[in-house]
Amino acid sequence: MNRVILVDAKGMAVENSVVNKLQRLIQESGAADDLSEGMRVAIKVNTSEAGYEYGLRPVFIRAVTDVARDASKTRPTICDGLRLVDYWQKANANNFLNLAREKGYSNDTLGGNFVVIGGFSGDEGELYSCELPDSELGGVEVGTAVCRSDALWVLSHVTLHPLFGLSAALLNGGFDCLVARAKSRVLRGVDPYPFNGQRPPLEKLRAFQRRALESHLGVRAAMDGRIFYVNYLWDVTPQPEYFPFSGEPVTGNLGFLASRDPVALDAATFDLIRESHSFAKTGVDSVREIGEVDFAKVLKDAETMGVGCAGGALRRLS
Amino acid sequence: MAEYKYAPTKWKELKKPVDGGRETYQMKSWNPTKKKWGPYTKKGAAPVWFSEANATNWTESMICKVKDLFYESKLNECFEKGDEVAIKIHYGEWNRTSILRPEYIAAIVEEVRECGGNPYVVNDTTLSYHTYNSMAISQYQMEGAIRHGYTDATFGCPVIIADGYSGEDDYRVELPEGNIIKETYIGRAIAEADAMIVLAHARGHAITMYGGILKQLGIGCQSKRGKYITHLAHWGDPHDAIGWPKFTDNCPGKACNYHQMCDDSCPRDAHKIMAHGKSWNPEKCRLCYSCQVTCMWSGMTGICFEDMYFPNAMIAHADAALGALKCFDRGKVGFINCAIDVSPECDCFPWSGLAVAPDVGIFAGKDLLAVEEATLDAIDNAPIGPGSVAEEKGAKPGDDRFRIVNGWSPRITQAAGEKIGLGTRKYKLNEYEPVLSPENAAKWQIRKGGVGNHRPTTVRLRDVFYKHDLATEVMPFRRIEYDKEWVWNEWKKYDPFKGEMLD
Repeated sequence: MNRVILVDAKGMAVENSVVNKLQRLIQESGAADDLSEGMRVAIKVNTSEAGYEYGLRPVFIRAVTDVARDASKTRPTICDGLRLVDYWQKANANNFLNLAREKGYSNDTLGGNFVVIGGFSGDEGELYSCELPDSELGGVEVGTAVCRSDALWVLSHVTLHPLFGLSAALLNGGFDCLVARAKSRVLRGVDPYPFNGQRPPLEKLRAFQRRALESHLGVRAAMDGRIFYVNYLWDVTPQPEYFPFSGEPVTGNLGFLASRDPVALDAATFDLIRESHSFAKTGVDSVREIGEVDFAKVLKDAETMGVGCAGGALRRLS
Repeated sequence: MAEYKYAPTKWKELKKPVDGGRETYQMKSWNPTKKKWGPYTKKGAAPVWFSEANATNWTESMICKVKDLFYESKLNECFEKGDEVAIKIHYGEWNRTSILRPEYIAAIVEEVRECGGNPYVVNDTTLSYHTYNSMAISQYQMEGAIRHGYTDATFGCPVIIADGYSGEDDYRVELPEGNIIKETYIGRAIAEADAMIVLAHARGHAITMYGGILKQLGIGCQSKRGKYITHLAHWGDPHDAIGWPKFTDNCPGKACNYHQMCDDSCPRDAHKIMAHGKSWNPEKCRLCYSCQVTCMWSGMTGICFEDMYFPNAMIAHADAALGALKCFDRGKVGFINCAIDVSPECDCFPWSGLAVAPDVGIFAGKDLLAVEEATLDAIDNAPIGPGSVAEEKGAKPGDDRFRIVNGWSPRITQAAGEKIGLGTRKYKLNEYEPVLSPENAAKWQIRKGGVGNHRPTTVRLRDVFYKHDLATEVMPFRRIEYDKEWVWNEWKKYDPFKGEMLD
């Protein structure tokens, strides 16, 4: 079986709309076959900050939650975590939910119960080992909406990321699933908002990346491996969704990818972005330039740590 | 707190990296017990505002009266502009019908927002209580809330489970003053709020006999472990003390029709059916009431409560209410009791008995016990609800209604609460009756910021009809010529009951 499946954004037609494409992608991946009646499915999404206007449209999420609901005969839990600092509107659950609602993310539109991952405080979680002999973190607290579910589907809006290189399956299915205090530990010594020229020293940046990958192992332990990933290559902006603004997308809409291996998925995603016509036209490696991050190194680290394997075939759905 | 806490972007002012560590990031949101907490009334009787349940014109709508009482009792002064204001309600059990209508809650949310507060509606998860409970799991509870019409769309603000996804997102409060319990745990969405408006459905309760605003604090604000403590779980010896279920010799074992439902009732698998009776493992038991309620409300008597359980639980829940109140400065919590659909049991029951009294009205104030006492007195003095359990048990107006209905007097809780400083039971009742005037009729009928456009609907319709009027386009309507004989006499030729021509 191919490890990564891609459906591109071309050839839209009556029976080949975005929703059709997404649902076919899930169907072909076999993810729904792993679900049975009564299973609690957590669907991790990215909700955007006030001022960031390129967030995924609710119907893009809904297309996938409908599949999960049909397979489990249960309303899935759709979740995202609070931000760490009070500068903007997402460090408080009341404002977080209000803002999400303004952007069209609600129980009704998403087709499931929309909650904050770690409860109102963002701190409700359970400790899981990172299962790595030389782990710096040892363990991480995974948010209850994730770790108390029977399966996790990670739906990632792919963007560039100033600290990690790419905000996609590896980050969204790991660091972003933690409770606030665990996120704080992963971010130790690193400013997550480096938009005033204060970039973290490379050494600290690399340490953060390794800790973020360790946290992915913690989430995998919490879910006992029952994780499935979808990357949305749609409005791939230079800034991630937690920024309060964004520049225009760095490439056209390339489609959607799915896999059970986050490293293979992010590697394929990374390749697609770099190979895309509009991206190549700019003549710069924006992933490197914007964050001074070499995402290829992050992927290699991920492989070394046993998060997944970057190799493997890419299967394109026609 | 005068400033809006979550001011927009200050990223240009950020001079250094954000340090990791719980201490750093939690500094602003951590909310230790307030030093200025305390009963609202320092001496004398506390003012309580009341408006009766009835309406004959625009100003007397119950929703308008709730808004009026909010201001009359100065609940708008419980918070400042920019404060995070928790609106505490009960989300109601699945299949329950006599719960607070969403309009009451929306009305308060609207006024909190109008006064500059940042409202959100909250309720904690419960313990399991019985086999088919749907409030112990946050997602089940939210589905029930949506079914009741409690949604962000109806309220215009988030609807949140206060103690998180699993009922573990809580805050510990010390209670040296407690009559029985010395600590409790409050849901973080409540503990971290700057102010709270408690909006309660006043009705009966199987354990505390009556449930209103105090119950909303004493159980409703407690997280899962807060509820275990308040239930007096594991208090004393397993086999003869009140903090445990009482297994009797009356259990028929497998001969009981409900034995599978009984086995299923325990979320910890602490008891199993035997040929005769049940085996019970107290090590696993946490006193969630599931087995007791399942057995008793199936009409069986195999698992029940110790005789002295109820008064002790009532005293303990007054202690726990203090735990919730201590999360706020004095005067930062406002109380509203809606004595409407006064059913004999709690909103956590998946059914509703007939009301033990006709709708009484709305009570509001800042002193917890005074508002409760006024509500209890008014319900006691109300007529008996026809066909209700109160009538069945022979209650008369003036009797302690909930003592007769549920077994013990709710004044036990009131006395215990007064002892530990929850408030005063002495109250001065201010009866509020809205005056019909053009200004008052318009006050709550014209919606601000909505499609009402700050004008009477009829005035707005003039603009609409000026541009387009379907009715005028098809006039005159096709009818027979106007005929006075027809209008005044013709219809009298028909039998008004059968619709047939009279001879």
